[in-house]
Amino acid sequence: MSEFVTYLVTGIALGSSFALIGSGFVVVHRVTRVVNFAQGSLAVLGAMLSASLLAGRLPHVVGEAVTVAVCGVVGVLVGFIAIGRRGTPPLISLIVTLGISMLFSAAIIWLWGQDPVSPPGLDGFATVLGAEVERQRLLVLAVTLVSFAALSLFFSRTYLGKALTASASNPYAARLVGIDVRRMGLVAFGLSGVLGGLAGVLLAPSNALSFYSDLPMALGGFAAAVFGGLVSPLRTLVGGLGLGVAGQLTAGYLDGSYQTEVALLLMLIIMIARSRTFANEEAK
Amino acid sequence: MLHISDLVVRYGSAVALDGVSLEVGRGEMVALVGPNGAGKSTLINTVSGLLTPASGSVVVEGTVAQVPEGRQMFPDMSVEDNLLLGGWSIRNRQLDEVFDLLPDLAGMRRRKAGRLSGGQQQMVAIGRALMARPDLLAIDELSLGLAPIVVAELAEHLRYLNAERGTAVLLVEQEVTLAFDLCARACVLEAGRVVVTGPSAELAASDAVHKAYFGDLAELADVEVAR
Amino acid sequence: MSRPQPRTVLTVLVCVGACVAPLVLNDLTFFMHMVMAAVVVTGLSLLMGYSGQASLGQGAFVAAGALTVAAGTTKLELPPLVALLLAPLVAAAFAALVGVPLLRLHGHYLAFGTLALLLMVQAAMGMFDALGGAFGISGIPPLGVGDRVFVGQLPYVYLALGCLGLVLLLSHRTVHSRFGRGIQALAGSQTAAESAGVPVNRSKVTIFALSAGYAGLAGGLSAFFTPYVSPDSFPALESFTYVIMAVVGGLGTIWGGVVGAVVVSVLLQVLNTVSSQPGLPPTAAPIMQYATYGTLLILALLFMPRGVVPTVDSGVERMRSRQRVGVRA
Repeated sequence: MSEFVTYLVTGIALGSSFALIGSGFVVVHRVTRVVNFAQGSLAVLGAMLSASLLAGRLPHVVGEAVTVAVCGVVGVLVGFIAIGRRGTPPLISLIVTLGISMLFSAAIIWLWGQDPVSPPGLDGFATVLGAEVERQRLLVLAVTLVSFAALSLFFSRTYLGKALTASASNPYAARLVGIDVRRMGLVAFGLSGVLGGLAGVLLAPSNALSFYSDLPMALGGFAAAVFGGLVSPLRTLVGGLGLGVAGQLTAGYLDGSYQTEVALLLMLIIMIARSRTFANEEAK
Repeated sequence: MLHISDLVVRYGSAVALDGVSLEVGRGEMVALVGPNGAGKSTLINTVSGLLTPASGSVVVEGTVAQVPEGRQMFPDMSVEDNLLLGGWSIRNRQLDEVFDLLPDLAGMRRRKAGRLSGGQQQMVAIGRALMARPDLLAIDELSLGLAPIVVAELAEHLRYLNAERGTAVLLVEQEVTLAFDLCARACVLEAGRVVVTGPSAELAASDAVHKAYFGDLAELADVEVAR
Repeated sequence: MSRPQPRTVLTVLVCVGACVAPLVLNDLTFFMHMVMAAVVVTGLSLLMGYSGQASLGQGAFVAAGALTVAAGTTKLELPPLVALLLAPLVAAAFAALVGVPLLRLHGHYLAFGTLALLLMVQAAMGMFDALGGAFGISGIPPLGVGDRVFVGQLPYVYLALGCLGLVLLLSHRTVHSRFGRGIQALAGSQTAAESAGVPVNRSKVTIFALSAGYAGLAGGLSAFFTPYVSPDSFPALESFTYVIMAVVGGLGTIWGGVVGAVVVSVLLQVLNTVSSQPGLPPTAAPIMQYATYGTLLILALLFMPRGVVPTVDSGVERMRSRQRVGVRA
């Protein structure tokens, strides 16, 4: 039983990162119809930067907060390249973000080298349902839930959040009332930078990340986002957590090396099964 | 307060508006009529700033807000949110002002805009435009898809607005009777050009309008209005 | 439509150059890799250009072809020539099979879907011993018939060039056929093509399978050339590189694959040499490689979205029309 709890908690922690990255995909896609391939790179950046800042001089919380803020700014830059040019079709923007993720790899190797990095996190263990779990993992879950709640409030209660939602649901009408839809797209990218950076910051203390982690992170996040139809942050959260837990259970009870493949297969099946709904969305 | 002078607007190589001139005075209500493809929506969109002229000028003394064709709601958002977003470009947003002018909106403020009837949505669209306190309301197809009773009620609201607030109205309308009834002056557009402008009463009886609607329609090029 | 003169001359020059180059080059591995990439990318360019879909995992089909040769010759004891001929067929069949469900996806879903497919193929290779298991498949016999086998790298290179020529010819034939015209309508608008009577789904699967066939052929040939096949032979980055080459060369053109493969391969080779100069840190190589990939892709997409071939083509056209009108350029 305690084994199960450990897998569950570890899976939830991993899945939280997928959920956060996935929500980054969702935010950007809703407003711009673009899928930001560089989402995974932003998570790696978050891990690397927080490791440097915390090792240097900044205390906890401050270091993480600064990292996340910087990732937000970087996110805006990514958006600028991806959608800055008027009339870039979304599929082209996707491949552009693929190119951007490669630039990220170059930059990360240049600044931090090729070795995996793991910043310090919350030490120690706690007992949950009779099993010993790392406190870091519980922290990850807590922060993720708070973040999703904050995101939801942002979209429904703040004026900027409403403008973002409006830009997503009816860009024509948004332009009519004077909303600069392209600028909203950049805001969305910035927000996705924050979410991605946060994912990296939270995950890296338990699972070291390196420059090549961007692909599995992006895939995991995309899989979670697919579960939410690339529109629903809540379903993305569920999808991400489910994915993380399924992966960990597979690793624990079956064979560790098949986690990613199981996740990918699930993702493919979901995408194909829901392809008609997606087609209707794209047509809008 | 609206001065359109020799306006030319193109869609790629097609000419949608070919040297259109029109004046709308402060507090005036002007109707814009003509057959499909005449360029009415293009003109409204250019006045609202959504399209750029190839040549000619549009001078607006004040602000313009558009009530778009087909209402264009933010369907998953509440009526209140839809209205609030209408005030995106101004600083001192006041929902109550709009609720005073269109009291029915207050009653449905929490409802999702996508669930409302066509007439209710049209009222929301008007309210949304009014949030920006515009000097000119540019309305594209007020009656489209709406029952006559509903349209009559909306027309009343517009009359009230015009009388109380002095808001000018530029109304694109297929329903010629409604247009002439509501607006003192009218402009007939055909194939991107102004055929005739003048008092509605005169135009209602004139040949030009009849020709525009029942005349050489088969030869008119159907200019695609991009949405 | 008769080709303008300079184009034919250029084509002839390129062909002659390609035939002579293997005799003078030192590094035939690089040349072979480039030619194989050109084969794959010619197919990818057709796919992306005509059905407007991005495939981020074309390597899956290269792997299918390579495995047909590798497993076919070592485990099934197939004669090498038969295995080579089967490679594109197996790859195309594989693509047709997965294409039916997969191509229901559009745009970014398809892009990720093909990437997922590649990763699953890699995983399958690692899992099943028949496909190589943890150690891959080695000991692939040389290509040949009976006793007469290829010796050294040169014969493979010429065969590769021959295959490239074949592939280009096939593409030309396809594009100018009725099927090709239907596919081109597809690139414009799916709904318009549908209403014009183009069997959309079947066409999409067909061109998907065709591009996979090209990839499989390249995979099969490479398996003989290397001669070793393992899951690490088909990294995701390689598939991304194919996309870069396709974009740079020009999507939906016949020569775009070749141009893109040559430009990117040469560029990378230059970078490799530069970054291995003494004085530069060992990380210089991957940094420059990634940076180049990224920059190339971004610049090509944003500033030369149609790729080299169409841009050059229209540039030449513009010059010639100016000449005709008598205006000095």
